[in-house]
Order: sequence, then C-alpha cells, then structure tokens
Amino acid sequence: MLGKLDWSAIPFDQPIPLVAGAMVLVAILGVLAWVVVKGHLPYLWHEWITSVDHKRIGVMYVLLASVMFLRGGSDAIMMRIQQSVAYQSQGYLPPEHYNQIFSAHGTIMIFFVAMPFVIGLMNLVVPLQLGVRDVAFPTLNSVGFWLTATGALLVNISLVVGEFARTGWLAFPPLSGLTYSPGVGVDYYAWSLQISGVGTLVAGINLVTTVLKLRTKGMNYLRMPMFCWTTLASNLLIVAAFPILTATLAMLLLDRYLGFHFFTNEAGGNVMMFMNLIWAWGHPEVYILVLPAFGIFSEVVSTFSGKPLFGYRSMVLATMAICVISFMVWLHHFFTMGAGPDVNAIFGIASMIIAVPTGVKIYNWLFTMYGGRIRFTTPMLWSVGFMVTFITGGLTGVLVAVPPADFLLHNSLFLVAHFHHVIIGGVLFGAFAGFTYWFPKAFGFRLEEAWGKAAFWFTFIGFYVTFLPLYTAGLLGMTRRLQHYDVAAWRPWMHVAAIGMGLLCVAVVCQITQLVVSIRNREALRDRTGDPWDGRSLEWATSSPPPVFNFAFHPDVRGEDAYWAMKQHAKEQQLEHHPEPEYEDIEMPRNSPTGFVCAFFASVMGFALIWHIWWMVILGVLGAFATFVVFAWRDHDEYVIPAAEVARIDRVNVEERRSLVSMAGGV
Amino acid sequence: MSDQAHVPTGHDLAPGEEEQHSVGERILGYVVGLVLALLLTATSFFIAGTDLVWQPSIPVALIVLAIAQMGVHLVFFLHITTGPDNTNNVLALAFGLLIVFLVVGGTVWIMSHLNQNMPPMDQFIRMHS
Repeated sequence: MLGKLDWSAIPFDQPIPLVAGAMVLVAILGVLAWVVVKGHLPYLWHEWITSVDHKRIGVMYVLLASVMFLRGGSDAIMMRIQQSVAYQSQGYLPPEHYNQIFSAHGTIMIFFVAMPFVIGLMNLVVPLQLGVRDVAFPTLNSVGFWLTATGALLVNISLVVGEFARTGWLAFPPLSGLTYSPGVGVDYYAWSLQISGVGTLVAGINLVTTVLKLRTKGMNYLRMPMFCWTTLASNLLIVAAFPILTATLAMLLLDRYLGFHFFTNEAGGNVMMFMNLIWAWGHPEVYILVLPAFGIFSEVVSTFSGKPLFGYRSMVLATMAICVISFMVWLHHFFTMGAGPDVNAIFGIASMIIAVPTGVKIYNWLFTMYGGRIRFTTPMLWSVGFMVTFITGGLTGVLVAVPPADFLLHNSLFLVAHFHHVIIGGVLFGAFAGFTYWFPKAFGFRLEEAWGKAAFWFTFIGFYVTFLPLYTAGLLGMTRRLQHYDVAAWRPWMHVAAIGMGLLCVAVVCQITQLVVSIRNREALRDRTGDPWDGRSLEWATSSPPPVFNFAFHPDVRGEDAYWAMKQHAKEQQLEHHPEPEYEDIEMPRNSPTGFVCAFFASVMGFALIWHIWWMVILGVLGAFATFVVFAWRDHDEYVIPAAEVARIDRVNVEERRSLVSMAGGV
Repeated sequence: MSDQAHVPTGHDLAPGEEEQHSVGERILGYVVGLVLALLLTATSFFIAGTDLVWQPSIPVALIVLAIAQMGVHLVFFLHITTGPDNTNNVLALAFGLLIVFLVVGGTVWIMSHLNQNMPPMDQFIRMHS
C-alpha cells in the first residue's frame, strides 16, 4: 500500500535532523496558524499564491531562495564545525550523516538558492526595464515558480522522512547507482531536480520570449539595459542546457527503477558518460547563474557612478560570447578522466579563452566608475567587493584550467575554495546587490543603509577568512568531503575557516536585522517618487511598488538609458504645463491557481515515486494533467482595469514626480 | 498577454503564425510538404533494403535523406523562411543546431578519447596470458 515507506524511514536515532525538522515544522505550523487566526488566508491566496503578476512571482522566488539559503547555510556551518573538530576523531557527525549534509548543501545552494534568487530578480525587473506590463506567459510563470518550490519541499522532506543522497551534489554513478545507493536518498535528489528542472525550463522559455517579443516602443535590442541582455543570454542557456540535465537524470532513474544499464559498470554501461553529460549541463549552469549577476553589477555601477555604462556594445558582445563559449569548456571538470592530451589541451585553452570576455566586462565596469561621481551605497559596495573577489577567484580558475595543474588540484580543497570564491563573489554578491538595489522598487521603501553596509563588510571579510585557508589546505593535499582526517598540518586552517564561518553568520544576522529594522522604519524610508537612486532605466519610471499594470502608458524609448533621457527632457521644460493624457482601459491576465494546484500534484507524484507508491503516482499525474486541461478550457483569462482607475493610480505618482522636478529646478 | 501583443516590436512571426495567404495556397503548401515527406520516407525504406546500389553508400544515403526530411519539415510545416519576418526563428534554429553540434560532437570526441592513458588492452592481455 505505501511502497517502501514505513516507520523505519524516520531517523529516530539521529537527534540533529529530527530536532531541526521538528523546529521547522513548528515554525511552519505557527506561521500558518497566525495567518489563519488573523484572517490573512484569503489575502494570501488571492494576492500571492494564485498571482500571475511577474513582480509578485519574482518576490516569491526571492523569498524561497532566502529561506533555502538559511537551510543550505546551516549545512555549511555544520560541515565547517565538523572539519575543525574531526582531527584524529570522528567529530560529532557520523559519516552517513556528514555525506548527506555536503550533498544537500551543494544541491540546495545551486538549485534552490542561487537559481530562484536570480530568476526571481529577472522576473521582477526585466518586464519593468523593457517597459511592458507583464511577461509573455504569466500563468506558465506561476507554474514554473511552484514547481521549483515543489523541488525544495521534497529536499526538505528528506530531512525527516528517509534520507538525502550521500553522493555529492551531482550524484556520480556508480556510487549513485542502485548497487551502492540502495536507499531513497538519490531518488529524493533526482526527482526533486527533475520537477524543479521543469520549472526552471518553463521560466527560461518565458523570459527568453519576453525579451525577444515584448518590448515597448523604440526599445531596440541595442537600447535594452544590460540586465535584459544578460537575462536573454542566461535564459538561452537555460533553454539549451536544462534538457541535458533532465535527460541525464532520467537515464540515471531508468537505471535505478527499471534495471537499465546506461551508467552501470556491467552490461555495456559507461559511468564516464554520466560525467560527460552532467557537465555538459553543469558548465553552462555556472554562466546561467553568473551572467544575471553581471547584469546587476552593470546596472548598479552605472547608476551609482552617474554615468552611462562604458562600452555598452562590447559588453553585449562579451555577454553573447560567454553564452556560446560556455558550451565549449565542460571537459575541464574531468581533465583527470583519462582523455588524451589533444582533448585536454583544447578544452583547457577554451577555458582560458572564456576568461577574456569576462575580463572585458571588468574593464567596462572600472571605466564606468572612472571619472564618475560615485556614491558608495550598499549595492555599490557589493559591486566593488565583487570586482576584487571575482578577479582573484577567476585567476585561480585560469590556474585550474591548466590540465597539468589540474591533475594536482582536482578534487582538492583548492578546487572547493575556487568555486566558492567565484560563486559567492559573483552570484551571491550579485544577488545581494540586486536585492538591496531593487528592494525599494518591489516594496516601496528603502533598506536601512547602516545594517546593509555591516552585512557587506562581515560577508566580505568572513568570506576571505573562510575560504583562503581552504586554498592552503588544498595545496597541502587535503581532498574535499573529508569527514575526519589525521594530518596535523591541515588542522589550523580548518580552525581559521570555522572562525570565518562565524563572521559569515554575523553577516546573515545583519541581513535579517536590516530587513526587520527597515520594515519597522518603513515610513521614514518610504520611496515616494519611485526613483530612489536617481536611476537610468525604465523600472524607475513608475511608482514603487509599481501598480499591477506597471505603466499607465507604454514608455516611448529614444535611446540608451531611457529613463535618464526622459528626466533630462523633463527638467529642461519643467515650466511648460503638460495637458493630462487620455487614460485608457487596461487588460491584465486573471490570477489562476493552476500553478499551485499543479505543483501540489507534482509534489504528491514526486513523493510517491521516491517511495514506490504506485497508486499515488497515478493520482499525482492525473491530477496535474487534469489541472492543465481545466486551465486550457478556461473562458475568461483577462480582466479590465477601467480607465478611471488607471488615472486615479497614475495621478498620485505623477504628482509626486512633478514636485520632485520642481524641487530640483528650484535648487 | 493582453494589449502588449499589439505593441509593435519589429516584424517577426512566431513558429506556426502565418502571413496572410489564401486558404488554397496554404493547403497547396501543406500537400507539397506531405508528398515530399512521404517520398523521402519511402525512399529511405527502399534504400535500406535494396541491393541496387553500392552497399557501403547506404548509411550515407540514409543520413542525407534524413537531413532532407528535416529540411522539408522546417520549410513546409514549421514555415521557417529566410525572410526578414523570420529572423528570430532562424536565429533560434541556428543556436539550437550549434549547441547540438557542440554537445553531440564534443561527446563523441571525448568518449572516443576515454582510454588514451590506458595501456592498449590487447597488448596487456597478451602480456599476461
């Protein structure tokens, strides 16, 4: 009846996951109870859960990423403590638990923190920057978000029901095959990634279509803000690369469920094919994450230097070059697999070549700052911190791209230090920069600068204290994923790394405090004009938070930095009185529970597949399919916002802006 | 959705969208496509079983016919043309082809190099027997 599921699945003998799970459960039930008692449930359902508004979906993506960041961060804390105490002892984490923790840490941080964070920011900002009212496929967008949430849910369920993979974040066979991983851990891993992978692919298709097909009047490709370009490149990579991941995991699942032999050692299987395929997805994935971050830095640097982006066209070219070259380097993840010098040399050279367009970007940001009037706000601090960190991290990357050096450094802590260096320094700093930069746009008030700066400095210093020791330990021969070790020389470095982890924890506390303090002081921090940073692109041309329709009129774009030009124009002719334009009715897509219901059935299906509960699998598949059929047969998919309502909402913002312009004129 | 669909953002058509042609013209296009596709399919089956041609040329012939088949589908059913209204579609197709070429070609190359650093297996076996 319940397949492999019985009471032995709950790890009663392991207090850590059980207590953590119980705490999370209490927290979730507490929040739910509060929501129901306060009567917020209808609001939550109508305004958020069923919302197809790209801004709300973007906010929910970022919220999901933030919550999962705490989970992945807890894993990191546990690992650093383990390695600092496990010298000639077992530490406090038994091996099978430690193995689950490092696997979950990697999986969560990439798939459920970095991915939703950047997709959330793209969702929130790109339609606003393009000057349009919504994304190309609003309901599909909601489906994509909720499927990602399903994946995250399954990973978290594995904490208390069963186990998670013990195979590392990419689950290499034969270890992840049925022979060596007979439990449900790898199944949790694979099904949660399959389901959230569909969500990611859907988000990618949606954003590519939005950028290509929905742009306001005059918004040519070469007038788009840089963030839109990096969004396009990143989502093209999603569309091209994620099917490879899906196919590879599907083959692994066939091996595990139906006795196939794609990646087994016997019957003609080849485990090396898994490495090859997973990295053919895995390397583009790196750029899927970092390209949007490059876009965020471009926006931030240009805004806070008060200058247009230096070398806009070279930046576009560099972005698209990275988009293509990122598909030519994947072998550098397995130089030691046994390929000959021809193959290794070609992929080594390609890996070094891809550093060139990245270098171009660094110079572009530096020259944008050069001669500008720089304001060192929190987003700008993250950007400058990124440049320093990413250059050094990138250089260690060029180092491991040299095959002979890689033979020494492969799978050592040097490699671990390298990819944390570029992912934290690139993607995480970018996500935080974008978070602080666009927070006022999403919620209508700025974040407290002092706490933001404290969070930056603790993260910046904490990062170096944590990860520079790992380079040294790696050069001293320490391999990754060690549960305990007997080499005295590694020990001090592990202690230093643990101290760095403490600094990073302080940084997280600063971030949370910043959010709490800012919400309490929101009246003082209110952004009334919709343009708190003196911005340059169209997202600042509407109010904060933007009305559901984003723009009462489609902005007319006449060049790069569209909003900057509009502001200059307005200042020049401030004394003229503009007659109020004629407002028109606006049609917007209706909210739909399709995404949520579909993800509910996908969760049922995923859980049932993991535990081999076949009747429940059928239930889940039928439910999800029926949801789609109901959606496809709907009669009314849009509603009309009457012109009077549009006018009422827009006039408030126009008044605020007019007073700003006249004030600026008076000075 | 909604009225953004009417915002002019340059002229190009999504796959499946068509320019204004009369019904007759469109049916003719589909019929020509269908006939060509059937012809190519039939030829493939015929060639695979025949001994009228030089045997080693059969795989090459099948590959050529398969590529022609793809071309027929793209032109007559997916309406990919070289016109200016089709730039996005052609670029997307080119990008897809490039990625498929890189991943498939790269994989074949990498996997054929897999045992480069191993001693040749036949020598190894002879040495130890």
